[in-house]
Amino acid sequence: MRRLLLGLLFAVLTACGGGGGSGSGTSISLGGSGSAPSNPPVTTSEAFRFLNQATFGATEDSARALIALGDSSNAYARWIDAQISKPTSLLLPAVEAAYPNPVPTGFNIGSLNAVRLETWFANAVRGEDQLRQRVAFALSEIFVVSQIGALQNLPNATADFHDMLARNAFGNYRDLLEQVTLHPAMGIYLSMLGNQRAVTGTNLRPDENYAREMMQLFSIGLVELNLDGTLKRDATSQPVPTYNQDIIEGFARVFTGWKWACPTTAPACTFANTRPQLAPIAGYNQIKPMQLFEAQHEPGEKRVLSYSGSALSSGLIPANQGGERDLRAALDNVFNHPNVAPFISKQLIQRLVTSNPSPAYVQRVAERFNNDGSGRRGNLEAVVRAILLDTEARTMPSGNTAATAGKLKEPLLRLTQLWRVYDARSTSEKLGAARNFPGGANGTFGQAQGSSPSVFNFFSPFYAPPGEIADAGLVAPEMQLATEYLNTQTTNFFWTQVTTRTHLNTARLNADDVYIDISNELPLAGNPDGLIDRVATRLLGDPSLLSTELRAAIKAQVERTTIPATNPTPAQATRVGDALYLILISPSYALQR
Amino acid sequence: MNRQRRQFLKAAAAGGVAYAFGRTVGTLDAQMTGVGGFGDYKALVCLFLFGGNDSWNMFVPTSTAEYNAYSRSRGGGTASSLAVDRAALLPVVYDGQTSGDPTYGFHPSMTGARELFQSGRLAVMANMGPLLRPTTKAQYQSAATSGHALPPQLFSHNDQQDQWHSLRGRVVSKSGWAGRVADVLNAQVASQQLSLNVSLAGQTYFQAGEVARPYVMGAAGATNFNGFATSGVGLGRRGAVEASLTAALASKTNTIYERSYASVQQRAVQFADRVNGSLATARDFSALPNTGATLSGLQTQLRTVAKLISVRTSLSLSRQIFFVSLGGFDQHDDLMADQPGLLTTVSNGIKSFYDALTEMGMENSVTLFTQSDFGRTLTSNGDGSDHAWGGIQLVAGGAVRGGRIYGQYPLLEIGSSLDVGGGRFIPTTSADQYAATLASWFGVGASDLSKVAPNIGAFATRDLGFLG
Repeated sequence: MRRLLLGLLFAVLTACGGGGGSGSGTSISLGGSGSAPSNPPVTTSEAFRFLNQATFGATEDSARALIALGDSSNAYARWIDAQISKPTSLLLPAVEAAYPNPVPTGFNIGSLNAVRLETWFANAVRGEDQLRQRVAFALSEIFVVSQIGALQNLPNATADFHDMLARNAFGNYRDLLEQVTLHPAMGIYLSMLGNQRAVTGTNLRPDENYAREMMQLFSIGLVELNLDGTLKRDATSQPVPTYNQDIIEGFARVFTGWKWACPTTAPACTFANTRPQLAPIAGYNQIKPMQLFEAQHEPGEKRVLSYSGSALSSGLIPANQGGERDLRAALDNVFNHPNVAPFISKQLIQRLVTSNPSPAYVQRVAERFNNDGSGRRGNLEAVVRAILLDTEARTMPSGNTAATAGKLKEPLLRLTQLWRVYDARSTSEKLGAARNFPGGANGTFGQAQGSSPSVFNFFSPFYAPPGEIADAGLVAPEMQLATEYLNTQTTNFFWTQVTTRTHLNTARLNADDVYIDISNELPLAGNPDGLIDRVATRLLGDPSLLSTELRAAIKAQVERTTIPATNPTPAQATRVGDALYLILISPSYALQR
Repeated sequence: MNRQRRQFLKAAAAGGVAYAFGRTVGTLDAQMTGVGGFGDYKALVCLFLFGGNDSWNMFVPTSTAEYNAYSRSRGGGTASSLAVDRAALLPVVYDGQTSGDPTYGFHPSMTGARELFQSGRLAVMANMGPLLRPTTKAQYQSAATSGHALPPQLFSHNDQQDQWHSLRGRVVSKSGWAGRVADVLNAQVASQQLSLNVSLAGQTYFQAGEVARPYVMGAAGATNFNGFATSGVGLGRRGAVEASLTAALASKTNTIYERSYASVQQRAVQFADRVNGSLATARDFSALPNTGATLSGLQTQLRTVAKLISVRTSLSLSRQIFFVSLGGFDQHDDLMADQPGLLTTVSNGIKSFYDALTEMGMENSVTLFTQSDFGRTLTSNGDGSDHAWGGIQLVAGGAVRGGRIYGQYPLLEIGSSLDVGGGRFIPTTSADQYAATLASWFGVGASDLSKVAPNIGAFATRDLGFLG
């Protein structure tokens, strides 16, 4: 009953709070605009598909709320409107609140990373700003920082970096790129913080790390792209590199002179002596943009990207204009490169909708990146709308393209959807404490927020698993995490979740163990078909998405457990557990349609 | 490029790749029992140092002129120095060294590697890296206009990892060279109960074949499925999983993602019992003990490799390629503070693994070799080094003609004839030559070498001579 009320409340709030129809600037070919009575309603399957693209997992309640917003011509845009107006769920306040004051001797500051992760799970599962959080997560897999490595003992910076991505999720890419560049978490992670000018007569020269990865991963990529994301080719049909070593060295010179912002109380602060402030005191620099120290900034001219339409026709940033202006000129130079729109648009499509978007889909979104309809470039809100409202995202897959539509769910999203659907909670009210996952979330799922093994993310957007996908020249990035090993880890996690970590066992669980509520299913245990329908409806939106064979296998397995007349609950729970388990580990559930 | 690609595939097909896509090793077992096979056992172990090892500090000149060049290039004596102290280096005497020759030493943290080198069980590959053909500085500098073929996207992490893994050059390829070894040896290893390629460190391009598939297991072993049992409801559960996966793979209406996921899941179910059942009977090693010692993550992986080798007979294994890894080498920062720990891990890992092999008398059958994204700049960015090209690799094992330096160790002088800027050295030995040498020892025939190492024809020496 509580769930139903919440769902209704959500529907009412979103309908009242958001419905300005400000998504009207985005063209969609779903037939009709406005509220013509001929538009069909959004079906449950369509709602599940949309919500699996735009949230951390579709649920029956969220599908009902979406459907109630209108019909298929306007419900999606209204839902997006409402989402964009929601306040941003944050990670940093929880990390700051957990920071001991005073800090005990020997305190392991890195242990606060766990608070960040728990808060991320809570926001992903329960946050009202689902779309913002989902887009922020996608951005965090492009603009990667990780607690593994030099950021280990800077948990506040790592949390704030993600909050910065969330704040900018519907902002402008140019602002985002600058905030990423100057964030101390990125400064530490890719060693721009402390980078200094060459010293003549020594072997010292600027660090190339941020310059290289910013171009390769955060903006333009390695090779020139057409607007539709396909590769440009030279006369010998080779791809065309977007930059060379000279340009990397030019950007490396731009990114010199930046270090920890000076504490306001430190008048003698210099490039050499400025340090991170660990405790979250007012104005502490761990979450402030890096500060320029002009004396350590390279004054000479810098070679940057040269392309048609560049404001720097010479491909050079002139000498002696100062570090701030150099930085702005360099980021403008990157931002206006024609690769940015297809490079970033395609990756966001891949994170949200499908591994293999058609070139036409990429181009439609990239055009929106280049011009949001009012002449602005880099408007991420317009890009997100274009991605989610595109006909390729909204028309249910059929015919030739059905076999390649959609994507594999990221392992963490298979988890968050289960937890959203089955009202996951723990006695301590924490979601996702490390003890839930053997080897931590990374060890179980191969991924955890802010815990990538390198700046190259948990998986590559270009990963093509051996077999028919590689043979066809297609990709399936998330398959990089679907190893025999990790699949087994994840499968075993779901086994534990559905058998021992349910509301029936709370008395035996640790306070941090997350349990699911299977009370809706228990009364159906004696009715295998009804039970299977119920679980499939909740997890997939439509029980007909189970294949005949999978349904038969589940039914046979459920019936292997006999329900005794006395004390039937354990046997009922086993039946429910088997239905849940076999669906949760099935390819049908792993697929994001 | 497409034409090259087709030729490449044709070559792979001609190499006796017998099975069609999608068929599992399990069905192969049933069909090809007892066919072919090697009379002996050999394994290759690839130790990949992720991030790009600053290997100029791993094996360093100690003779005066050569050390001074190294130290000058690395800013020795300045605040941003990346030079290891000459006095701290662990000197070696290499095979063929005569009076007046340059001398070298290992990084101070690499006592184990030095010991293996001095006992002839470890060899040093000098200035090696991906190349499509021998390349001079002039050819490098004019490549954009002359068309001289260079590996694409030099100095980029993932691209150069891909080059080491695949040796693909400028050709689009879905396979790595270890995967292609599995392809060409397919008929001889058809009775193996486990994929020829096994990774202890996640999915790799290196081990993906044109058709052969690697098996990815945990660093400490394969994981069992907790819900399965050998009888009753737990057995039924396993059957339900297997039946639904078989159906998912056969389905024409499923997406490519569901089928791909199902195929991995099917292999996971199929191999978990087999591998764990065998590992349960594996021997223990005092060099890599189960308890009583703190092993590095690398040693944990290598212990599992050693255990799998010890149960090779029960799994009918005659040829295996293992992939293990260690990360953290992308030391743009804190190189001098952090590299010693990493190199200690490398050295101890290799030494303890070699010792474990000797405990079971398998040291002559197993060869461990390193690869890494790239070498690094000699020059300093303040407290670290940046991405470069040529570097040093190590090969260890009883079959290795060790105590030697293979290839040419260059004079580490900025602006020298191999420096393309900042102390980025053009390799003088190619990754293809390295792979071809390893593959030949492993059992790949001469006529198949170019399938494994597609650029080998551009180099005069196909076998570097460090094995056999």
